[in-house]
Amino acid sequence: MNEHYTFWKMTAGVLCTVGLYSVLYRENKFYRFFEHIFLGLAAGYAIVALWTENLKEGWYDLLVGSQGTAGHSGPNGYYLYALLLPIGLMGYFVFSKKHSWMSRIPIGIVLGLWSGQQVQVWWNRYGGQIQDSIKPMVPTVWSPAFKPDAAGMDPKLAANVANNVYISDAVTNIIFVITLLAVLSYFLFSFDVKNKAIRGFSTLGRYLLMIGFGAIFGSTVMMRFSLVIDRMYYIWIEWLMNHVMHGKF
Amino acid sequence: MTFSFPNGSSGLYLALAATLIVGFLAMFAMMSMPARWRRPVVATCTFLAGAIYVAYYLWPKPQAFGPRDIPQNFSESVGSYLADSVNVAGTISTALTTFLLGLGIYSLVRIHGRKLLRMQKDWGFSLVLLISMVAIVIFGYWSYWQTKFGPDAVKLQLSSNWTWVNYTNDFLFDGLLQQMESAMFSIIAFYILSAAYRAFRIRSVEATILLASALIMMLSLMGAVEFIWNSHLPATGFAANFQITEIARWIRDTLQTPGIRALDFGIGLGALAMGLRLWLSLERGGVSA
Amino acid sequence: MDTPQDPVARTAEEVQVFEAAKIEKKTHQTRMILFGLLILCSTIPLFLTLGVPNKPTQSTVDLYSTLMSVPDNSTVLLQTDWTLSTRGESGGEFEGLMRVLMRKNCKIALYSMSDAQAPQVAIDEIALLLNPERKAKGEREYKAWDDYISLGFFPNAEGETASMAANLRSAWTGKKAIDVQGQEEDVFQSPVLKNVQTIANVPLVVIITATNSFNVLIERLAGKVPVIALVTGVMGPESNVYYSSKQIQGLAIGMKGVYDLETMMEEGINSPGKDGKVAFEWPNHPPVAGFPGETNYGRGKLYFPTLHIDMTLMILAVIFGNVGMFMAKKRGNR
Repeated sequence: MNEHYTFWKMTAGVLCTVGLYSVLYRENKFYRFFEHIFLGLAAGYAIVALWTENLKEGWYDLLVGSQGTAGHSGPNGYYLYALLLPIGLMGYFVFSKKHSWMSRIPIGIVLGLWSGQQVQVWWNRYGGQIQDSIKPMVPTVWSPAFKPDAAGMDPKLAANVANNVYISDAVTNIIFVITLLAVLSYFLFSFDVKNKAIRGFSTLGRYLLMIGFGAIFGSTVMMRFSLVIDRMYYIWIEWLMNHVMHGKF
Repeated sequence: MTFSFPNGSSGLYLALAATLIVGFLAMFAMMSMPARWRRPVVATCTFLAGAIYVAYYLWPKPQAFGPRDIPQNFSESVGSYLADSVNVAGTISTALTTFLLGLGIYSLVRIHGRKLLRMQKDWGFSLVLLISMVAIVIFGYWSYWQTKFGPDAVKLQLSSNWTWVNYTNDFLFDGLLQQMESAMFSIIAFYILSAAYRAFRIRSVEATILLASALIMMLSLMGAVEFIWNSHLPATGFAANFQITEIARWIRDTLQTPGIRALDFGIGLGALAMGLRLWLSLERGGVSA
Repeated sequence: MDTPQDPVARTAEEVQVFEAAKIEKKTHQTRMILFGLLILCSTIPLFLTLGVPNKPTQSTVDLYSTLMSVPDNSTVLLQTDWTLSTRGESGGEFEGLMRVLMRKNCKIALYSMSDAQAPQVAIDEIALLLNPERKAKGEREYKAWDDYISLGFFPNAEGETASMAANLRSAWTGKKAIDVQGQEEDVFQSPVLKNVQTIANVPLVVIITATNSFNVLIERLAGKVPVIALVTGVMGPESNVYYSSKQIQGLAIGMKGVYDLETMMEEGINSPGKDGKVAFEWPNHPPVAGFPGETNYGRGKLYFPTLHIDMTLMILAVIFGNVGMFMAKKRGNR
């Protein structure tokens, strides 16, 4: 890829970034111009990808098969896949007042395929987590209270230390289980509950949930700032320093 | 019966034509179907689609059964048939989802096309949108054809051999679309900073807990803070528990993880219930309603 | 921002409008100052060569160990669900991961379940960044077909991942790539997938994601094959629950994860360097070698110091916001 082209491509990228960032000052026509280019390109790319990335190999090639090369016989064409065309097109009846019900057939099939998987995937996703949430809450060793540092220990002894439940572990596990149950009760008993104990437990759940949300906030901030840093790197280092300042245009 | 013919054979073309004719005839027949049949038709399609996976999960799976092995008995035959069906279901799902994705694009074109034709307010922006869309569609397909099926397909795998068509496509995709997507995503950081300054206040117990947790999380992500804090504490022994990395780890493993896990359980139970209701068409306002 | 016109306000309504405009103007000014500061804080440190100490986290240590335990020359499945929109984090994760896999001569089958643009972005990273880097050092370039193949994008993650778990060969039937002769050929003819029959034949599945496509993968593949994940900060807390329950074998989260990975690529884990000293110690962990002196540092080292400054700005913004609130309250009480 020649430098001349790379420079102009990058310059366009910088212009687009500045155009979109202009909304930070206020909503303006410059921003809306770039916003519409963005929407148009994204939709256009999706049109291209629908065929090139999905239907061509995921449907059409299965439908017609292929010749095969270098001594390998290609797979046959499975003609029944052609039925997916009329079924898929039924989705477009959503715009017809009279026949809009037919659009529910492809949607129903897709939702059916999704819902049929739910019991199994539920277990795959949550089974391991449920298992991991059942933690020992009674210490197996009462002294010392804290888990000793196993660094430099004999491997057998270190394994023992790792398997034992010390008082500190038991307390941590109790807090873990209480947090899990309290937050869960906050969700499950979101309706008006008369029982004071459950209400109190749910309130505790709400407080504990805030700790989780705090972590999500901190982590989200890290991500968003990283993206701004990357944009700045693109503009100031990749474009300005590496291209403009080096005369690569 | 494999429902297949070799590529390019007349048998395949005939079968394809017949399948399409049957498919479209069935579609037209449905258009004039009595209203009372509609719900059962949609419910049956939904149920049968889901039943493939349910049957696959419930049927005993042959142990160590490879894709090239031949089934030995009835149980293995059904098991292998169901495993193949899951892949067919995957293809059906992929193709139908793709056809349905086209709906969104059709809708976008309809809205902006109408705006443009009627010269409604801001029609110029609609024109910009449609031109951008058409441009990337033309150059996207053209470039795809050149690099996949054109006479110089192999040569064009190297960017040094690109034609102006490939360059234009790359300019639109990599030069504009990707950069704008990146800019759009990063803009949120500015609003988060502004919102944090104006609204992240210690006004209630919940807000205070949230703020404290977020602060510890942010500090623990800063290697320099971690280094300075931890350098005042020993690496082993009881005091080592007060290293910021240890505090953050304890909070994460003991309070954040179960909190988020419980949140996830709640969502999971909802999704499971919704899945079953949709599959059995029990959902009010669902697809078969 | 238009200057609010004072003043001789006549009605209560006019006074209210005037006050609202004043507040709006002040808010706008504050916002502009904050935005300006963020741009400065995200730019200036990039020009300075700042070094920041780092101690990798447990989840990234496990990620690196798992990655290094993959046999050399084996085939790894890489679900690459990111585009340039999250290059700041995912780009660094992808580059670090690929550098390790390339040094181990692993073959890579990449695909996306989340974004149609993602496979192209990954291919571009290999062609425009990683291969020139290897070429400059006199190393073998990674070739499409022989060393890696792209299976493209699958729009229906749920159905496709379920198919992959049931029968990988059937799931990817019809997928083609251009071979070394320039012919379109079935992907299972390529050296990358030639010996792969089922998902169990693969020693590792790696996912780099900026979306919840990760959940779909866990639901359908976890337990059938070892999985490691490199996720964005937003996905971090949500993904950590799978790591803590051992449903995945390792996890790198956001920019910190990138820098952790780069640190271990340089220093290894409990691995003595040329001087015989262990640069990065991790208690009770077997030694895992690094690649000292190679191109290990990338976006992690470049962006992490800048991230510190930005985080400090955020913390200060929150503190000043609260101090302002208390002072305003105090004034109000008086």
